[in-house]
Amino acid sequence: MPAPVGSLTMADGHPQTDRERTRAFRQFVEPEIEVMLRVARSLTGNATDAEDLVQESLIRAFRAVDRFDGRYPRAWLLTILRRTHINMHRRRRPDTIDDWAMIRDARPAFGAAEHPSAEDAWIDSTLNPPLADAVAALDPKFRATLILVDVHDLSYADAAAVLGVPVGTVMSRLSRARDRIRRRLGPSALTPGRFA
Amino acid sequence: MKQSLRQMITCHWSARRIQRYLDADPSAPLAPGEVARLEAHLAICDTCAKVAEEHRILHKALSRWSGAVVDDDAAVQRLQSFVDSLVEDEQR
Ligand SMILES: [Zn+2]
Repeated sequence: MPAPVGSLTMADGHPQTDRERTRAFRQFVEPEIEVMLRVARSLTGNATDAEDLVQESLIRAFRAVDRFDGRYPRAWLLTILRRTHINMHRRRRPDTIDDWAMIRDARPAFGAAEHPSAEDAWIDSTLNPPLADAVAALDPKFRATLILVDVHDLSYADAAAVLGVPVGTVMSRLSRARDRIRRRLGPSALTPGRFA
Repeated sequence: MKQSLRQMITCHWSARRIQRYLDADPSAPLAPGEVARLEAHLAICDTCAKVAEEHRILHKALSRWSGAVVDDDAAVQRLQSFVDSLVEDEQR
């Protein structure tokens, strides 16, 4: 989680002038555009809708930056992204995501690294097929949490912002998702040493 | 028997902390004492060391999937320009 960006704002934490507001907005948003796009693709399941969603979220964030205290810009932006997504698409299940199909379809291209380690090569060739099946079999809520944290590398708090649930819920869903996958894969599938 | 009961309790204690230990997430850090105790246990307990290794591999395998979703510099550039236009409109 990024540290608060205190130097950008006035003593009370909120931008005061248009100039400061613009500067604060740029400073908060620019480092997060890629992660916003990544999460937007997770939420929408396609590239075009994702870009529209990020644009609309940026407009809302710009309007709201006066009320933002500068702490945890990523979680702030991801919360706006989630709310905008709910407004735009009238989602029935806002705590799930839609990028599973994209991930599954693109998986064969993963092992494209030029010099994969023995472990990476083993993961791509041997582990990935049963792992993909195990992830596919998860309840969508558990899968969403797993994908945001383990695939997209979001922190617990940022995943909680995307899903609109408390951090403790992220932690328990994540733990259950991982344990279900381990159980489904069986006792030897992830065993260390098999690629020694 | 006493020894194995104590071992079981420690394994149970460890099992509930292995994921937080590996994730090292700022929202849920283990206390330094917990880290030391867990590391000491992992060094001597094959069962828990195997669980930790499974979680490490699982995370590594899943993190390799991330390339599937965004590898689109053009889209990031367009959004960057969009930020510029938002800010410039405001300043006009
Ligand atoms: Zn143990």
